[in-house]
Amino acid sequence: MAVSVDEAVSAAPARDHTPPARRFGGRGRPALEVVLLTVLAVVMLFPVLWMIETSIKDNRDVYAIPAKFFDFNVTLDHFKDVFVAPDGGRSALSVSFLNSVVVAGVSTVLATVLGVPAAWAYSRFTLKAKKDQLFFILSTRFMPPVVVVIPIFLMYRQVGLIDSKLGLILIYAAFNVPFTIWMMKGFVDEVPAEYEDAAMLDGYTRLQAFWKFTLPLLVPGIAATAVFALIFSWNEFVFAIFLTSSDEVRTAPPAIAGLIGGTTVDWGLVAAASVVFALPVLVFAYLVRKHLVAGVTLGAVRR
Amino acid sequence: MRHPKLTGRLSVPGRKARLATAAMLLVATTMAACGDGQDDGDAKAGAPKAPATIPELTKDPLTLSFIWFDWPPAHALEDFANAEYKKERPNATIKVNTVPNANWHDAMFTQFAAHKTDFDIAILDSQHIGEAVTNGNILDLTDFVKNNIDVNAYNPYLLAAYGQFPQAETGKRDENASLYGLPLLGDTWTMIYRKDLIGDKPPQTWDEMISVAGKCQADNPGVSGLAFHQANGSDAAAVTYNTVNGIYGGNLWDPKTRKIDGVLNDAAGQEAMDVLVNKMKPLTAKGSGNWFIDEVNAAVAQGKACIAFNWIAASGGLLDPKQSTLGTTREQILDKLGFATLPSQKTNLVPLGGMGMHVSAYSPAANQAEALNFMKWFERPDIQKKWAAAGGVPARTDALESPEFLNAGPFNKVYADSVPRMRDMWNVPEYARLVDIENTNVNAALNGAKKPKDALDDIAREQQSVLDSSGRKGGGGL
Amino acid sequence: MSEPVPLTTDGPGQVASATPPARGRSPRLGDRGLAVAFISPALLLLLAMSVFPLLWALYLSFTDYSATRGGPANFVGFGNYTAILTSAQVHTRALTTLIYVVGAVSLQTVLGFTIAYLISRRTHGRGLLTTLFMVPMMLSPVVVGLFWRFMLDAQFGVVNSMLGSIGLEQVEWLTRQRTALVSLIVVDTWQWTPFIMLIALAGLTAVPRYLYEAASIDRASEWFRFRTITLPLVWPLLLIAVLFRAIEAFRLFDLVYILTNGGPGVSTETLSFHVYKVAFLGFNTGTASAYGILMVLVVVVLTQLYLRYLNKLKEG
Repeated sequence: MAVSVDEAVSAAPARDHTPPARRFGGRGRPALEVVLLTVLAVVMLFPVLWMIETSIKDNRDVYAIPAKFFDFNVTLDHFKDVFVAPDGGRSALSVSFLNSVVVAGVSTVLATVLGVPAAWAYSRFTLKAKKDQLFFILSTRFMPPVVVVIPIFLMYRQVGLIDSKLGLILIYAAFNVPFTIWMMKGFVDEVPAEYEDAAMLDGYTRLQAFWKFTLPLLVPGIAATAVFALIFSWNEFVFAIFLTSSDEVRTAPPAIAGLIGGTTVDWGLVAAASVVFALPVLVFAYLVRKHLVAGVTLGAVRR
Repeated sequence: MRHPKLTGRLSVPGRKARLATAAMLLVATTMAACGDGQDDGDAKAGAPKAPATIPELTKDPLTLSFIWFDWPPAHALEDFANAEYKKERPNATIKVNTVPNANWHDAMFTQFAAHKTDFDIAILDSQHIGEAVTNGNILDLTDFVKNNIDVNAYNPYLLAAYGQFPQAETGKRDENASLYGLPLLGDTWTMIYRKDLIGDKPPQTWDEMISVAGKCQADNPGVSGLAFHQANGSDAAAVTYNTVNGIYGGNLWDPKTRKIDGVLNDAAGQEAMDVLVNKMKPLTAKGSGNWFIDEVNAAVAQGKACIAFNWIAASGGLLDPKQSTLGTTREQILDKLGFATLPSQKTNLVPLGGMGMHVSAYSPAANQAEALNFMKWFERPDIQKKWAAAGGVPARTDALESPEFLNAGPFNKVYADSVPRMRDMWNVPEYARLVDIENTNVNAALNGAKKPKDALDDIAREQQSVLDSSGRKGGGGL
Repeated sequence: MSEPVPLTTDGPGQVASATPPARGRSPRLGDRGLAVAFISPALLLLLAMSVFPLLWALYLSFTDYSATRGGPANFVGFGNYTAILTSAQVHTRALTTLIYVVGAVSLQTVLGFTIAYLISRRTHGRGLLTTLFMVPMMLSPVVVGLFWRFMLDAQFGVVNSMLGSIGLEQVEWLTRQRTALVSLIVVDTWQWTPFIMLIALAGLTAVPRYLYEAASIDRASEWFRFRTITLPLVWPLLLIAVLFRAIEAFRLFDLVYILTNGGPGVSTETLSFHVYKVAFLGFNTGTASAYGILMVLVVVVLTQLYLRYLNKLKEG
């Protein structure tokens, strides 16, 4: 079973830390631990807070020396700039956000549609060299993207997939399928095969048993898996920058990276775009917090 | 029971179809991959020729696409062309695709490599021409130019810089060489100086400039003497070194013997590197070792630099009060900021910037025809003046001398005065690698990661080996 | 990567036997068909998008092919490989990558484990703490890279501003040879410490309580309990996390691209970044492919280690 944040919380009170602490010189130790933890939390969260703060600052205050922490004018102009072009139309950035939604969404659906049945089959059937197959599948996910992109580029130019959403969708799906299979296999393993056997005794075929009895039980797991696949596709940069070039196809990560390197840098805009870009991921990550351990290890670790 | 049969029947062909599709994809790509090698054998012949006269234009709606990097002139071009070109060709829409500057070369040449471009007109940097011509990526415009363009209306070097290959070595156009592009936007470095800090009169020699900057820095705490491009991306640090190299009488290479080692790092080259690293770098802001166009602009706008160097086409934002702390109106800012041609020393060379228009060899015939028509239109005297008024930098001499241009910006006179002084880098096919070697090494020297002399020798040696191995194809090096 | 297993395309051969079938109309055939039908689409996608491109790269790595210059691909034997393995430039990048991987992964392991340990000793607010600590990991490397570049700016960056207000010198975080690599390590550590923390926390909370209780009765010292109970039980899981991070760090490209662009000079160019330059600046596709294959070999070794431990963990 995956150890979830919630379980970690609920399981805690039973444990008693006081005796050792007392033995080690009184109340100082727990207090020290709290202080240490607080300091670490502040350090880890400060950049995120600073990003949010920068996104609502006037540019004048953004460049202020020494940096202004509290005393600044709040403005939402940067957020407006993320979505609205100077001429009043839709900004290139907002188009890239839409592209990201399409590419991440479709590639996730594709990976799920391909990966879930495969995971079920790997869980239920005895296959030749199953372990090797599974490890092979996982290992394809570890290829360095910069290396993969060279032959992918050559392949795509033959079939006309350079600078197309379909091209990105396919490569993201290929990177998400191994993850989906590993993650989902864990979820399928947790559903007793006896349910299906019983259904088949009642005259259902195995396919029907899967469709009618197992699949509904897997829905929460599928949702969690899909969310992780979505986050990966949403954040991906390397394939996006090398395989796309036009505004109509470009996804958000290269578009945000493109905000610097012109003739002026608008850090307020960079920060606002980053906040808008990161927000859905954080919301989604919060929704699947129970499955984080499995999710971030590509489904390899589930305890 | 109907369901089992149905699903059974459906699943089998579905699977087979999938298998077959995938297998076909595999076979097709493999064959294409293998075939690729033989097909391309003839590409060496060079660029395909554009027709001498413009073919009949389509009456259907057509989008003429450009590719450029994301900066104000790109947006200016799109607005200008849609406003003006539409008057001639109502069915044509102009679209300027923009990519991040760092990704500009890669974005164009990966599409060229794919033999499929989403642009009809590539706005190549002048040094990219060699690579594009050698690979047959852009059209040969020689005959088209002969029939449609008045070549005498231009400073010959500008035509050569943005179109000619092999490169114009003398700064003059070679009448017999082929042309592959026409000027779109001229550019060079301008010196930006704080009139309120160093006086109205700009320094005339490079040495004087350095001492003025030093004094200004000492007199004004918090303001650094100099700001210039030092980054290791694009061509930032390389252009900086090349500029100083030219001013101190150095050469980048000997084009006839294709010799770099021993030319670039000769005494003049060493002196230039010494000036750059030991005299100029100490006058820059701490941590400015990764600065490029935008950071230099920011330093000027924040009032943090006495003297700065930047591309003219990228300097427009400096006059925008919203981005500046130097004044609340354009006039107030202009009271403090002066723009001048670069100081001279042993020579008066300045770097050539800007870009030309080049027609993609892979765009459809109708679009190529439209592209040629657009270029002919764009080089008309009246349009060149309008382009100047819209914020562009024209290339025709009459437009350069016109009040429309000279009054459009305080730096435009700087450009007009700089035209006879320009020098470009090599535009050989190996340009991308040459410039990367120079960028990273100059950047290393500027940031103390290498000794100036070692950096220069490494540039010369590594560039030489790239040039020497240019006969080899794709296996030849790192 | 384990050796490619011949799969699926040749149909029934690979399904040895299905699970004991329930009674009914030839369910055996159905199961086999179902397994093939369910698995083969996924495997085909992987074959087309991962295996086939790698095989193609393998072929190209023995040629002088260039993606832009065209012409026939001439066979050059191991020429590309010897050129890469004997190149001083590559050795420099390998060393940079090694320092980066070892530095970043050890730093985040120590920090991540510490945070996890501290959290595991809290009784209240664990869920909230864990969630908050997770935030950096969920951000795109692009966002992380850009934002740290902003914060580490020597002139107006908030980090130097804070150093200044406590009376310290400005530091050139991104433009000095040593500090640039340190900055890269720090930023990677900032982003990925939560990863180690999360997995270590999973291990720590899974330590059976009775073990501690038994030790508590024995009046064992806390350090003793940590060393003999906690660490051995958490270690296997932590090792997985470390290997996973090592593989990821070895592949790193985007953070370098945005934070330092490899500079100053080439001092923060990792192997991934160098491959990119060979492939897309020089378009020396043959050489770049060989370079890529060599990198894949390293990844294969690391992955094998990872999978071996994973296997152990699953069985243990």
